[in-house]
This record gives sequence, structure tokens and C-alpha cells, in this order.
Amino acid sequence: MRKNYVVDVGNRRHTAEVARDGERVELRIDGGESAPAASVPVLGGRAVSVTVGGRSRLVHLSPADAKGGLRATLDGWPITLSVMDELRAEAMQGLGAGAGSGSLTADIPGLVVDIRVAPGQAVQKGEALIVVEAMKMQNELTAGVTGTVERIAVAVGQSVNPGDILVVIAPPAAE
Amino acid sequence: MTRKPAKESPDKGTLDKGTLDKGTLDKGTLGNGTFTKVLVANRGEIAVRIIQGLREMGLRSVAVYSEPDRTALHALMADEAVLIGPAPASESYLVAERLIEAAHRTGCGAIHPGYGFLSENAAFCRAVEAAGLVFIGPTAASMEVMGDKLASRRKMMASGVPVVPGTDQAVRDPAVAIRIADGIGYPVLLKASAGGGGKGMRIVRSADDMASALRQTMGEAGVSFGNDAIFVEKYVEDPKHIEVQVLGDGRGGAIHLFERECSVQRRHQKLIEESPSPSLSPELRARICEAAVQTARAVDYRGAGTVEFILAPGGEFYFLEMNTRLQVEHPITEAVTGVDLVQAQVRIARGEGIGLRQEDLHQRGWAIEFRVCAEDPSRNFAPSIGRIDAMTVPLGPGVRLDAGIYEGFEVPIHYDPLLAKLIVWAEDRPRAIERARRALREFTLHGPTHNLPFHLWALDQPAFRDGSYTTHFVETSFDASDWLPDLAEADREALVAAAALFESGRRLAPPGESSAGGGDNNWRRAARRAMTGHR
Repeated sequence: MRKNYVVDVGNRRHTAEVARDGERVELRIDGGESAPAASVPVLGGRAVSVTVGGRSRLVHLSPADAKGGLRATLDGWPITLSVMDELRAEAMQGLGAGAGSGSLTADIPGLVVDIRVAPGQAVQKGEALIVVEAMKMQNELTAGVTGTVERIAVAVGQSVNPGDILVVIAPPAAE
Repeated sequence: MTRKPAKESPDKGTLDKGTLDKGTLDKGTLGNGTFTKVLVANRGEIAVRIIQGLREMGLRSVAVYSEPDRTALHALMADEAVLIGPAPASESYLVAERLIEAAHRTGCGAIHPGYGFLSENAAFCRAVEAAGLVFIGPTAASMEVMGDKLASRRKMMASGVPVVPGTDQAVRDPAVAIRIADGIGYPVLLKASAGGGGKGMRIVRSADDMASALRQTMGEAGVSFGNDAIFVEKYVEDPKHIEVQVLGDGRGGAIHLFERECSVQRRHQKLIEESPSPSLSPELRARICEAAVQTARAVDYRGAGTVEFILAPGGEFYFLEMNTRLQVEHPITEAVTGVDLVQAQVRIARGEGIGLRQEDLHQRGWAIEFRVCAEDPSRNFAPSIGRIDAMTVPLGPGVRLDAGIYEGFEVPIHYDPLLAKLIVWAEDRPRAIERARRALREFTLHGPTHNLPFHLWALDQPAFRDGSYTTHFVETSFDASDWLPDLAEADREALVAAAALFESGRRLAPPGESSAGGGDNNWRRAARRAMTGHR
């Protein structure tokens, strides 16, 4: 049985072909040489001991989301990965990356303590829009795109969770 | 480990409140109560560390917890645990009456305040002692002197401890401030007497800026601290932060346990501390430690305290302030001196004195502490929270971990982001750095974003390696957009292999068992397959 995967490590995309024959596994990365490989779950399932080309490494791995996102730590360095099979990756590619959402979402849970903009206001990318307090710290959340504030979805004093939409920004009309 | 319900009846071994020598306590000279049970009025890693110290002495501990901390490690570990209120610290850990009430209810004879929260609150100290309990810490009087920057400055000037050149009185008139600044030379620092934590300070580089800077600093101080007293002192450029651990017996006797250097800071919060300091000659060390002992004697200091100094590039040092409590970074002093500071605090509080002689104390080897915080270095150290999904901690020679977390623990939003402290010790500084690297590489934490990679980064910086770093180290050396190292090809290959084999293994799982969140199970199944087969 042979299957291809697409693995994103940071900004770089890799391909991996996994060939299984019973307990034997062969792995080919980025179209290189095929080599015997093994992956053994260890530390109560928190990590895998992965062997490629005769060298074993301990990689901590935990699912970060349901879309193939993985959190990995290797020798103390945390790295965000994503993995999916080739067909799915192609389907995703077809959908296009989109123009970049204008919505500002909370990335930490906290309390909204200040809103610095009003609907209709023009904002620049990087401009502070909202202040969320968490762990005794005030965190300024900034606009990801330049545009016009369409809607403010929260109020001062409101608790927010990661992923909650805070401000919707309409990008400037296309030329 | 079982968790016992809070008992109503007082602990048999606790000193009967009626027999406490109130007179001695009121004078604040000596806490001479005996006690066998202590309320730990704190949370997180420091509460855990205090409970450990008490347990080793055969003393029983009572933890307090807020609602979200019901399952926090300190509440699970203590002999008893008492709920003191809802999440906000102002309704739980900062409510003196609830803490004292909990101590009475559980039959405690003493309260250990830890650091932060009420640890340097003179009114709390007085309330504890008035309630017939022993406060494991200094007297309210020494807290009051040291809590006021102008008062402590005056006290130190009178005792011959060097302070930063400047005024010993509040300044309101810009003309007076300019005259003082002309005398000591620009730049100068305007400082709120009641300020702290880097707030209420402003650098003034010329006479033209004085009037507006003074007005703004007074305004801020009035609003933030309810006290607009401002003083002027020389601004020391590129300083190092050196502090000295002291123990006092409350009767004018004091010793020092050498220095710590804490110059790796962001927003005036320390991130890495080491002991000894790489910046002190033996002669300078002797002088700075002696100044710290003089400081402690000047206020008849009782218990463990830390005298902070700034060290100018030319080697001059000046008293900054005294922290009248146990410090976060106390373990590095424990590592190089071999003294358990929590237990020393308890002995002093029991009236047994310091129990150590200065001439018996030596610095042995080198210790470095790394604060592990739930924060994202790439996003200006913004706090992060979440569940600790995976935690693999470093062990082995010379490694200590003081932690307030465990796998599965949900880091609450309400308190500060310190999760744990990694402390390493080795024979000398180069070996301590290599040991730190080894331990940091063994440390895995999944869940909240954290600063362990920042520490690995810091270990490689020339200014850290040669010990020349100053308090400006992070702002001058750290670029949040470009600090993560490139992955080595072998590392990249291992990650790609791990991810592809993980996904491929998931596909092999029988249908119906591969639903979301079943990662662990798939891994376990794969483990069984791997163990029954062979490679």
C-alpha cells in the first residue's frame, strides 16, 4: 500500500510517500531515496520515536486541530506542522487561499477593556483596534488589513475566547 | 495522596492563641510562636515550593484556593485546602480576612505569604499578628520603610549605604528639580516614591523637558498610587541588576547569602537569573554584600529579604530597594549556598534565630534560573493560556524544577503567567550553561505558548555567554520577527517523517475508532503493533 502526504513545516511544503507492506514501512521524502522507517509511540502517547535512515529521534506530537494541524517539539523547539494526504491538499489548493480575512479575532481569552475604533472608521494594517486584558496584562490587538470598520462585535467589559470575532473590517474596494 | 477536608477543630500541636506573647509580637521584634501547621497564602509554583519545605520539616500545610484553582497543584498537594473565593485575586488571594479566617478554622499557627499578593502588605502583616498568628516574614514596620522609596532612601543614606545620587525629599517645583539635575548631571530619573514594577518613572535628558516630565510623572503617580511624591535621582545608563539575599533575626543580627544577577528582563520583569553574578570581582562582591547586611541591620530585619542594587558600568553600585519577602529566584541562592530559604524563614519565625554563621557560607558552583511563562516571545511576550496537553520535564544531575502545573491542568487567565522555574546547577558558569541547554532541550510543554525557546535563544547570545548583558539585553538583542533558528535538514526530515507516519497510522485504524481526538488511541494501537512485531 502506497500513499502520498503533504507536510507543511513552517513555511516550507514537503511531500512524503509512505509505502507499507505488512509491518515494513518505507518512506520517501521530497522525492529522494526511499528508506526504511518506523514510528513508535512513547511517553504515554505524547511522543513518537521516529526512525528514518537508521537514526532515531524523539518527537513530541499532539493534534492541534481537526484539520491536520499538529504541534511538535523537537529538542526543546516547538514547531507547528500540518499534514494531509495529497488528494485533500490538492482539493484545498483548488479552493484558493482567499484574499485574507478582514475580521479581527481574539487569539487569547480575556476581557475587552478598550475599543479604540468606531464603525465606519478607516484603519491601517497594524493599527491597534481593541485592548484585551489577560493575566494582568493589557494586549493590544491590531488590524490585519487596511480597510474600513464595518462592525464591532463586542463591548467593553465583555469576556472573549480565542476565535471570537471582535471587529469586522471591510477591505477597500478593488480597483 | 489523599485530600482531607478542612477540619473544624484546631490542630493539637498549635500553640494556644491565649498564650502567645502578644507584647513581643506587637513590638514586631521577633515572632517567637511555635506552630505545627501553616496556612500558605499563595498559589502556583511558590505555594507548592512552600508546602514542600514545610512537609520536610514535619509541619502540616493548609492551601487556599480560588474557584478556578480548585484543581491547581498547590491545592491538591497540601494537607488541607480551603476555598477562599471567586477567581479575581481581589476577591480571593488578596482578601486578608478570608485568609486569616481560613487559618483559624483549620487550626493553623502561622501564615506564609509567599511572594506577590499580600506578602509585602504591612496591614496584612499587622492583621495576622493581631489575630494571634505568626507571620512568616518581616515586621510591618520594616515593610513600611522599604515600601516607600523616599523613606527607604533616607534610611539608607543615614546608615551609610550608597544610594543613587539625588534628592531625599519630594520635589514639586520644576526649578528645584532643574537645580538638582544640574548638580548631579543629566540624564536624571523622576521616580514616584510609591511606585514600583517599572511604573511611575520618567527619564529626563535636558532642563527643557523637566517641567512637563515632572507634571506628567506627578499626575500618573497620583492616579496610580494615590501619592504624587516624586524624587529626582541620577539615571544610570546600561545598568546591571544585582541583588543580595539576606537573613535577619529581627534583633539587628543579619547575614547575607551572596548575590544574584537578574539583568535579563522584559518590561522590568526578570526572565533569567544567575548566581554568582558574572560581573563582580571578589572585592566588589564583598562590598555589595556588606552593604546589603548593613541595610538589613538598619531596619532590624527579620526573616528572608533581598536588597536590590544597580551596578553602573564603572563598578559603582547603588541601593535600589529592599524586597521584604522570599523572591521568585530564591532557588539559585539555595543551589549555590546549600541553604533552604523557606525552612530558614520558618526557623526564624519560630524564634530559633538564623541558625547559620556568615563564615560558614560559601558560593559553590554556578546556578541559573529560567522562568517558564505562558507567553509568546514572538508577540511581544503577550500572555497565552490553555490546557497543558503534554509535559515532559527535564531531570538528571543538577536540574531542579519548581512547577505549579501538571499535564491536564488548565492555566487560568486570572493570575500571572509564571508556570514553572527551571533551575540548573553545575561546577562553573560554562558548564551551567551547557547543562541548561541540555535540560531545556529535554523540556517539552504543549498547550499554552511559552517562552522555553526564548531561553534556548538567550543561551546562544554573545552578551549572555560572556556575561556582559545589562538590563537592556532583551530590547537591544531580541528581534521578535527574527529569532527562531532555521531548522537543520535532519530535524526537518524527522518532523516530516513523524507527521506522515502519524497521519498514515491514523488511516490504518479500524473504522469508527479513528474519530477526532482519538490520536492517543491510534498511537497506543500502533504501539501494540510495533511491540508485537519487530524492527
